[in-house]
Amino acid sequence: MRALLKRLIGHGEPPSKSDAKQRLQLLLIHDQVDLSPAQMEQMRQEILEVVGRYVEINPDEMEFRLDKEGGAIALVSTLPVRRVTARSA
Amino acid sequence: MSECLVITSGKGGVGKTTTSANLAVALAREGKKVAVVDADIGLRNLDVILGLENRIVYDLVNVIEGQCRLKQALIRDKRIEGLFLLPAAQTRDKNAVTPDDMKKLVDDLKELHDYVIIDCPAGIEQGFKNSIAGADRALIVTTPEVSAIRDADRIIGLVEAHDLPEPELILNRYRAGMVGRGDMLGREDVLEILAIPLLGIVPDHEDIIISANRGIPASFDDDSVVGAAYRRIAARLGGAEIEIPSFDDKQTFWGSVARWMGLAPAREVM
Repeated sequence: MRALLKRLIGHGEPPSKSDAKQRLQLLLIHDQVDLSPAQMEQMRQEILEVVGRYVEINPDEMEFRLDKEGGAIALVSTLPVRRVTARSA
Repeated sequence: MSECLVITSGKGGVGKTTTSANLAVALAREGKKVAVVDADIGLRNLDVILGLENRIVYDLVNVIEGQCRLKQALIRDKRIEGLFLLPAAQTRDKNAVTPDDMKKLVDDLKELHDYVIIDCPAGIEQGFKNSIAGADRALIVTTPEVSAIRDADRIIGLVEAHDLPEPELILNRYRAGMVGRGDMLGREDVLEILAIPLLGIVPDHEDIIISANRGIPASFDDDSVVGAAYRRIAARLGGAEIEIPSFDDKQTFWGSVARWMGLAPAREVM
């Protein structure tokens, strides 16, 4: 009965197809790149380490993902800087 | 006493992964601690059905090869207390794991959980042998189709040869309307052929497609008839005696109103 009411009123959610498509695109990118999640995590840590030598990064707000930009796969990362930690000599 | 269930079918595409995910969610909703294991190495999908694909760091093969600890590889489902996923490796093949490895893994998981659910890959080869190695109980998923039932019969024979107790049946994608018209094998027909106890029937319903799109198993949804069917099966697993409904809502008043308004397939896809 509640299911019927939900159908009548509609519950404001977008159709599930868009979720499916978005999730699929991401899955296929990861399958193509063929890096294990452990390797992705290792790369993330190493990049954090290198960048961290120059600026202090807030790792909790770091964005690090594979995405499609135009026709190509891109590694997209945003590293929020807390402050500059070292000055390059 | 914890228990390891293997969800198997022989044939692919009959709903093993959907069943594994939904039973895991339903058991966790009963307050049980559940680990659900994707044993389909190289073609993992359970993570996607559960909507946990973005949280994988380590997998089953990493655990077996000692590259991480078991607890590091278990993904905790934040939506519900007590539900954990052990994902399959995507870039390895089935020969990376042996039945002995799986037995050891299941023993370790049983120490931490009330139920361990193994989502078995299709086929009767290595992946199947690995999946049943640590199992205490086998649940056979089939649909009311000739090819699926034939494969289920083959699998039942293999399960019995592996010294497991008599397997139990989950009849999936059941369409009461078609059964009523005589265009689909009914439960009595299927049971007559397979001759194993029936644990439950899951109706064919569009909720399953929507829940797979979203990565939110129907068992989370209190309003879903499919979710309710899986929750009843979960309760029966623990010994509850709950009748299996006919899924035929032709008599119910609201069912007729909904159909008249063009709103149903609320219960069943005809």
